[in-house]
Amino acid sequence: MKGQKKRTQAMGLDILLWIYLGGCITYLVQKWFQPSGDIWYYALFGWIPAVVFNAIGDSPGTRTIMGRKELSWFRSIGSWTIILSVVLTFVVGWVLVEIDPYKFFTRAGNAQHIVSGIFQPNLSLLMPLLKALAETIYLAFLATVFAIPFAFGFSFLASRNLMPRTWLGNSVYLLVRTIATVFRSVEAIVWAIIFSVWVGIGPFAGMLALMIHSVAALTKLYSEQIENIDPGPVEAIKATGSGGFWVWWYAVIPQILSPFLAFTIYRWDINVRMATIVGFVGGGGIGLALQQQQQMLAWRNVGVIIWLIALTVWLMDLVSGKVRAKLLDI
Amino acid sequence: MLKIKSLHKYYADGTHALKGIDLDVKAGEFVILLGLSGSGKSTLLRCLNRLIEPSSGEIVFNDQHVETARSKELRRIRHRIGMIFQQFNLIRNLSVLTNVLTGRLGYQDGLGALFLPWKRAEVERAQTALKRVGLSDYARRQVRNLSGGQQQRVAIARALMQEPQLILADEPVASLDPATADTVMRYLGELNRNDGITVICSLHFLSLARKYGSRVVALKDGQIVYDGDPKTVDNERFRSIYGEDAEEVEIR
Repeated sequence: MKGQKKRTQAMGLDILLWIYLGGCITYLVQKWFQPSGDIWYYALFGWIPAVVFNAIGDSPGTRTIMGRKELSWFRSIGSWTIILSVVLTFVVGWVLVEIDPYKFFTRAGNAQHIVSGIFQPNLSLLMPLLKALAETIYLAFLATVFAIPFAFGFSFLASRNLMPRTWLGNSVYLLVRTIATVFRSVEAIVWAIIFSVWVGIGPFAGMLALMIHSVAALTKLYSEQIENIDPGPVEAIKATGSGGFWVWWYAVIPQILSPFLAFTIYRWDINVRMATIVGFVGGGGIGLALQQQQQMLAWRNVGVIIWLIALTVWLMDLVSGKVRAKLLDI
Repeated sequence: MLKIKSLHKYYADGTHALKGIDLDVKAGEFVILLGLSGSGKSTLLRCLNRLIEPSSGEIVFNDQHVETARSKELRRIRHRIGMIFQQFNLIRNLSVLTNVLTGRLGYQDGLGALFLPWKRAEVERAQTALKRVGLSDYARRQVRNLSGGQQQRVAIARALMQEPQLILADEPVASLDPATADTVMRYLGELNRNDGITVICSLHFLSLARKYGSRVVALKDGQIVYDGDPKTVDNERFRSIYGEDAEEVEIR
């Protein structure tokens, strides 16, 4: 029964891998030899070698999924097939990404304006830019603060060990987890685009974007922390005959409070970083200033902004790292 | 005071952890549970206050059925049963005093107390409990800065706050060194003698069982294989409980 399932999986893997190999080869042939007409569908014949080698019992599928390793790796067609696919992926990647070392080493001159801008920053713009930077830091802070209550509430619903194992408990757990995952996988930059249309370009849109993303991210971090608590105190407080609330208040909360705080500060740190990116697409703050100056090709102004961002990120990283180390040292 | 009748426990994975336990514990006894790890000692202790739900059988504590008690009733039963754990199960980043006070939570009704400081009488009771276990100077310390033996004594003080009639101790000295183990057992013995609190305590050391126990109950594969006076547990019987290769380890 189990063997049959593994055999099917191995065959599936072999067929997919060989079709992928065929795809890589036809892509490269098309790119380099430019034959007339499409040849990509030849890749579909990849199933033939897949079935043949699978039947012989020496293929990637039989080697990895079914664990048949009678042959040492350098004698086995299966392992050479795997090596070939890694190599082909690298070659196709090189072509797709249009890697061109020649350009890299000969055209550095094109970037001289930016580089000289960075080393001759226009300090007369420092004051207005500091205001934009403050906007970024504060919007990141507010996004974090507004995210805390939501994430705090959701994280308990998303914790396996606290949710009852009933139909309702399982559904709520799954629902909250899924929503958090979906919201987290949509980048903050996408939320910023949505909100810059919704409430208009500016720091408010950026804050909303970061807040949504922070709620999802903190829910995940918080709930993982809750799932890792020591169940001992919970058991002990229950044994004293206390009701559910007291168990939560005395056995759960004290264990999660400082890690929660640590994660929240870390999140603020991340939000400051993301706020500059979010600013680029209409989220206000120093990111917006960077985008404007870059489009005006005012490289010396861009230079000041880059220095300011680098300095802020470095400082935030330093401080939040120290605070976190202190908080998590229990 | 405690009557257990044909108690069975099946875990979700199919393990038959308790295979019909019958046990009668009289008030004032100091019962030592012996047995190998996995023999069902922890399961039995946790079934008694239903930290683990028994599968079938009866548990009667002071003429009250524990196994069928509803949540409020069960909480009231638990007030009277203190519990001590191998890993102490204290809240490590709160103070010793707060930890001891949590033993009193069962007596709080409603959530009004959330915003009020602990009542003076309760704090005094906690101080007295700490004094009894010799830790009156430690009230304001953080639990995580205490040694294992001190933590276990805090746990005893917490149990004392419940004004328990019965204390369940699940291998209370298994993570302590021999000297500390004896101190902790001495405090339990004192509560048993002076306050008349009944104790059921699982142990691995026969010497401690002889010294403090008034009765030994031995479990093997979820069944009681011996029930009697600790002094009559000789080496032969010890081997039959712990297996042929077992050698008694002395603790004085």
